[in-house]
Amino acid sequence: MLHLRPENLLVQKTLTEAWNASESGSPLTLDRVISDFDYTTLHVSNSPDNKNVLWLSIKTKAWQSVSKCGDGFLEHLQSKYSGFSGIAPVGQPEQGYDYTLSVDLAQLQPDAIVQLSLLKIHMMSFAFQLAFHEFSLLSQQAQDPASFSGSNDTGTVRQLQYRDDENIFIKPSNDRITVIFETFFQDETDKVFGKVFLQEFVDARKRNRSIQSAPQVLFSHEPPLEAASVMTSRKADKNRRFITFVLFQRHFQTPELQFSSVCHLALFRNYFHYHIKCSKAYMHSRMRYRVDTFIKVLNRAKLDEKDDGDQTRRTITGRKLVY
Amino acid sequence: MSQSLRPYLTAVRYSLQAALNLTNFSSQEVERHNRPEVEVPNTSAELLLQPMHVSRNEHEQVLIEPSVNSVRVSIKVKQADEIEQILVHKFTRFLEQRAESFYVLRRVPIEGFSISFLITNKHTETMKTEKLVDFIIEFMEEVDKEISEMKLFLNARARFVAEAYLGEFVY
Repeated sequence: MLHLRPENLLVQKTLTEAWNASESGSPLTLDRVISDFDYTTLHVSNSPDNKNVLWLSIKTKAWQSVSKCGDGFLEHLQSKYSGFSGIAPVGQPEQGYDYTLSVDLAQLQPDAIVQLSLLKIHMMSFAFQLAFHEFSLLSQQAQDPASFSGSNDTGTVRQLQYRDDENIFIKPSNDRITVIFETFFQDETDKVFGKVFLQEFVDARKRNRSIQSAPQVLFSHEPPLEAASVMTSRKADKNRRFITFVLFQRHFQTPELQFSSVCHLALFRNYFHYHIKCSKAYMHSRMRYRVDTFIKVLNRAKLDEKDDGDQTRRTITGRKLVY
Repeated sequence: MSQSLRPYLTAVRYSLQAALNLTNFSSQEVERHNRPEVEVPNTSAELLLQPMHVSRNEHEQVLIEPSVNSVRVSIKVKQADEIEQILVHKFTRFLEQRAESFYVLRRVPIEGFSISFLITNKHTETMKTEKLVDFIIEFMEEVDKEISEMKLFLNARARFVAEAYLGEFVY
């Protein structure tokens, strides 16, 4: 498995199960907590009064910061599901969760199941959508010489705090959108492996001509200037790393491209750490193999007890003669 | 094998062969104890022999400390950069955790070295000395090879992963 899929398979599976059961006339009693990356928890349960209606609730670290990014967050989420009948937000989210959707199994379509499993991505995409929108305004301004101030540095920085100490900063300007990931490594080994991986991310574009049109990736220990304004309050930690993706218009020209870019960016940290873990696991299996070969070499050194068989006398039945 | 590695290994091999000349020797200080003299604080100088230090460069060294009934061999594995340092550390720790199946492996390396072996007269009595030396030499060869292969693998994987990720942005 090379790529991580943006949709949550367990949500899909649970909803499909519930849907099938409901179709066959015996709705399931569900109370399932499903976890996703970055401390996200999803909860699928029956609604209190009707077994054919499910509640899908989400709790994530990023919720606070995303809702602070701009107005219309709930409308944005609602618009993602307004095309499907039977899905509606519940006015008062479930206790302990940030957002709750009620799903009427009788009207559920397969497409809607996929969209529901993308709930976390849809939530994260709000901040990106605002940036895309601001980008289009800024680039129009830049076209118009009368109002153009001459500076490229005009967009607002949006901060997405998606883990305890890790943030995504999104800054639109008139010709690009800069997405900065702030990450840090708790483990010393991860830090070194991460350095190797990040270096390859930076170099990949230069080396491979076929991915020249991918976003430029930069890597630094210091906060990049785009994000420095919102970073000042925090003390600099030497374990912090900043990965900058520079998106140009070709990466978000159409809604489909926007969606796929957001999916990949939202999963960048997970993808990156996942592969660090994978290489550690591979090394482990490799070391196991190597240990086995070493033991084989060492066992060659052992004296074989059977070697002195010629000297020991045996009875006719093959027993050793002890005397 | 590179030009300078062979004389290094040959030197280690001959030094080991010379050092692995062990005899059963009961402790002179504690009654009914039979302990590796190289490992214990020793007041009788005649039990410890002259340590041998074979050095290829500052990163690759072998220290052989012989005594009357045991030999301690410590190997410093080449660690050119941060990654190799981590890999060597992980690898030697992995081996040390399995020290029981290696008989001659010491659980903790001595100060300044990556990995240590302790060969006692018990080992030389139950194993062929010649093959034990072979094992140490082969270990030294393989460890270097393994570390550099793991490093290459890590880089290759990182490159592949980065290109696959960025490739998703090419429309």
